[in-house]
Amino acid sequence: MGMQSDFYQLLKEQGHVFGVPSQTARGQELTTATTILAFKYRDGVLVAGDRRATAGNMVMYDRTDKVLEIDRHSVMAIAGVPATAYEMARILEHSFKYFRRTQLQELSFEGKLRALSKLLKDNVPAALAGTGAVVPIFAGYDLEQEVAKIYFYDILGAEFEGVDYAVSGSGSPTIRGILHYVNTWGEQPLSAMPEEQATVQALRLLTSAAEFDSATGGVNREAGLYPVIKFITASGVRTMPDAQLKPLFETKVSRHV
Amino acid sequence: MYEEPYKWVEAVGNRRTYLDEQFKEGAPVVGVTCERGILLMTMSKGTPKLYEIYDRLALGGMGHPADLEKLRFNLLEMAHVEGFNRSASDVTGGRLVKYGMAPTIKQAFEEVFKAPFIVKILLAEIGQKAGKDGFLTINYDGTFEEKSQYAVLAATSAVEQKMAGYLREQSRASLADAVGTAIRTWAVGDRAQRRVLDEGEGHDEARTSQVTDAETLYAYLRRCIAEKTVECALLDRHVQGPSKYRALGVDELKTLLPNELSPSLS
Repeated sequence: MGMQSDFYQLLKEQGHVFGVPSQTARGQELTTATTILAFKYRDGVLVAGDRRATAGNMVMYDRTDKVLEIDRHSVMAIAGVPATAYEMARILEHSFKYFRRTQLQELSFEGKLRALSKLLKDNVPAALAGTGAVVPIFAGYDLEQEVAKIYFYDILGAEFEGVDYAVSGSGSPTIRGILHYVNTWGEQPLSAMPEEQATVQALRLLTSAAEFDSATGGVNREAGLYPVIKFITASGVRTMPDAQLKPLFETKVSRHV
Repeated sequence: MYEEPYKWVEAVGNRRTYLDEQFKEGAPVVGVTCERGILLMTMSKGTPKLYEIYDRLALGGMGHPADLEKLRFNLLEMAHVEGFNRSASDVTGGRLVKYGMAPTIKQAFEEVFKAPFIVKILLAEIGQKAGKDGFLTINYDGTFEEKSQYAVLAATSAVEQKMAGYLREQSRASLADAVGTAIRTWAVGDRAQRRVLDEGEGHDEARTSQVTDAETLYAYLRRCIAEKTVECALLDRHVQGPSKYRALGVDELKTLLPNELSPSLS
């Protein structure tokens, strides 16, 4: 008799299949989602993502939410094929809940990272076939060590800790350099920034990514579309409402572009 | 030996006697709705008896811990697979009990060559809106009942009726009211059960009246609190996010328990 704590295993026993490559999809333009970033600020971790999903040079959707709250203390931001990424998020969300409820304790932060690694590893055939590559960022508050952490992955499931920040998606090369510059030679390192300043930074970074990457959607003021920005602190995950992003964008971002 | 219908009926009858015996010393469980959500309360020694099942579902149980654990896992498995394959709002207490739990328990009860589940289960479900809250209770033979305002589990149905009779008269508007009402109702049930134990089979305790003024109940409860742990869990309408279950810790309980009891809580 096992520990009966693994929801993913349970799904497999019930016949659920994940990560199977589909050869027939070759030549089709697949929907992908683009720039995501996470960095440590004064109170925890900020995770942000633009809202655009593209298929080739087509804009599929401009209201995608790529920063997904998995539980009260963790967030997965997704770049790559949304169909696979949403399925992963759904499995993770249920896995963490199932673990907590069966074992009567939270799954450790390490355990959560491992769960995502396992999903990515099972997804390798689909990723290599070009039908389901996902390159996520996982960020959360480690309740045991009382510190917020950022991890990023490659499509094969290797996990890397982002000490100060992590980026992923097609717009990420643009902002990776900026993050390095700001963090190293800026007036203060990212980790010292208060919430509002960190938010302004995230808005500027995503606007820069949109400037150089057609697959990244910037801010669309006419439609009232702003990036998704979430904060992870000891007290949990919180989303910055659009009503607060709007004035920050207008006063601190738009006048610079 | 059970091929003859009469013998089978007799064997099932024997099971009832056997099972009734098993619950005599069990701790009652009380579930009440209040403005804040649904409160579940019991007292336990060692193993907990209140559990989170799904976003809006909580479980309270009486009986053998291993059987309760087995059924709890069944419920968790059904709820999470269903919630994953469909949606959280498709995971309802009614479906889990009517199509999952009750048939399993009934089958085990009637298969006289195998061991039955020694459990009674109370499933509480908080609705999307106030007024849609509900309870389901399942007996060891698989019979289930649906209730809306409150539900109780106790050793016998006579004790359950007695508890329900007391509970009906009490206020349960605020969370503190609900905690006070639940713990006094628990005392009514536990005291009745204990009286049956002390005075033997012949004494039909539940039929005779017993003093149920608050002071007597609090005195009884202070003795219980000294040797057991008060367990309270809340399906909290005010909690952010999809999961509404939270256990009430000692500090919070101290502020919610009636003044007559809070100092005895450690």
